[in-house]
Amino acid sequence: MKVDPGKKGFVINILSLICFVVLWHFLIILARNDIFNIPFIRLRDIPTPIETWYAFVGSLFTQIHGPALTYGIMEHMQASLLRVIEGGIIAFIVGVPLGIGMGYSKPIGNILNPIIEIVRNMPPMAWIPLAVFILVAGGSIFIVFIGTVFPIILNTIHGVKSIDERLVDAAKTLGASESQMITKVIIPSAFPSIIAGLRIGLGVGWMAIVAAEMVIRSPVGLGYFIWNMGDLGRYPEMVAGMIVIGIIGYIMNISILLLQKRFIKWVD
Amino acid sequence: MGRLILKDISKKFNDLFALEKVNFEVADGEFVCLLGPSGCGKTTILRLAAGLELPTGGEIFLDEKKIVGTNKECGFVFQEYALFPWRTVKGNIEFGPQVKGCRKEECERISQHYIDLVGLRGFEHHFPHELSGGMKQRVGIARAYANKPKLLLMDEPFGALDAQTRNIMQAELLRIWEKEHISVLFVTHSVDEAVYLADRVVVMSARPGTVKEIFDIKLPRPRVRTSLEANALRDAILRSLGSEIKRAAEITK
Repeated sequence: MKVDPGKKGFVINILSLICFVVLWHFLIILARNDIFNIPFIRLRDIPTPIETWYAFVGSLFTQIHGPALTYGIMEHMQASLLRVIEGGIIAFIVGVPLGIGMGYSKPIGNILNPIIEIVRNMPPMAWIPLAVFILVAGGSIFIVFIGTVFPIILNTIHGVKSIDERLVDAAKTLGASESQMITKVIIPSAFPSIIAGLRIGLGVGWMAIVAAEMVIRSPVGLGYFIWNMGDLGRYPEMVAGMIVIGIIGYIMNISILLLQKRFIKWVD
Repeated sequence: MGRLILKDISKKFNDLFALEKVNFEVADGEFVCLLGPSGCGKTTILRLAAGLELPTGGEIFLDEKKIVGTNKECGFVFQEYALFPWRTVKGNIEFGPQVKGCRKEECERISQHYIDLVGLRGFEHHFPHELSGGMKQRVGIARAYANKPKLLLMDEPFGALDAQTRNIMQAELLRIWEKEHISVLFVTHSVDEAVYLADRVVVMSARPGTVKEIFDIKLPRPRVRTSLEANALRDAILRSLGSEIKRAAEITK
């Protein structure tokens, strides 16, 4: 019997996930029965997959117990995603023109390069104190912006610089002016690179937002949620939140890849 | 219309003389082939005529107008096609009219005309990567023509094609050229191609490139590649070229 290789790969992926979950489960059970343990790690405190699942389902939606209001994972997720999208949009609006300018014009590149090179090597997390102590509002969005904007700038520069010179020559002889060269040749040519930058940037932004939310104490956000749950000793909820973070990051990456495939048909 | 004059053209790259005192002209509506050993500056001549580069010495005129900046009255056809990969066949052909500010209907009319002329009807909405080499070069030729140039500059346009496609494309090019009658300056490595296509063949010397000999090809079209006259011409051109190829090999040794 022949099996479609794509399907076969998918089956292996699923099996691998199942094996991981089963292994996780038995490791914790063994630890709790004092049969197996790893020194210095309180394995018994880690929730089993089943406990995690119930915690996930139980904390999915916002609950009100009398005067106490507990935000659900959906609410936290929405808040975090919104911040990433807002920060991402600002980063895109700022990063793409900067990247085009720096890639296209040597003087602009020379002026901005030293600044960008130093600033981009400060991790987004290093900006958290500044966001907390100095910024009045929008601290988390700012951290996402910092994480997202540099991959976008660098990839845009790369896209602009790696343009096929013959296309520039062809456009010149066909009568393109300098502004037409940018809008009709350089930007479309760099577009796949720009989108790749956005994809990488959003990945960094997603990591940064979780860290930022732990420190910048807003009442919603997945980073805040997992920190708070850990603080309260509600480890199943904490782990459920971590898994949600991973899955959302994965989905973001895949969606941009799919959009890219759908809309940039001209790349081989 | 479409008369190109090269007057004492020299070109230096750093300390290297690529061209030295090149003189020849392409008459209005004429098909001229440039032949020469590798590295003799054939492509440089095309780039100078297109205004993509400036000569170190001498002047180039197209219809009495001296070429200083990019020459927007010429069409350039590249060996590796240089099509815009994000534009369809139609989009590529419409590039020139679009940047000139033609209205949409006008652009469509022009692209339809040239799509038909080069025989690409039915492929309007294909992207370049979906086309064969021969079809890509048809798009390249149509794109150059759609810009209504006075002069077509072709840089080994069929060099990357297989021998059969190449022969077909040569015949196609002549068919198009006879319809539109725009002057052509055509760079090639192939003596056979030059004798089949050109009104005149300019043979260049090894570096620094200069005009060595000019052959008039007065054979009636359509030409028979294997005719005695064609053979005699090929022989004469090959002999003229042969000594230069030897010299070029010695220079690069």
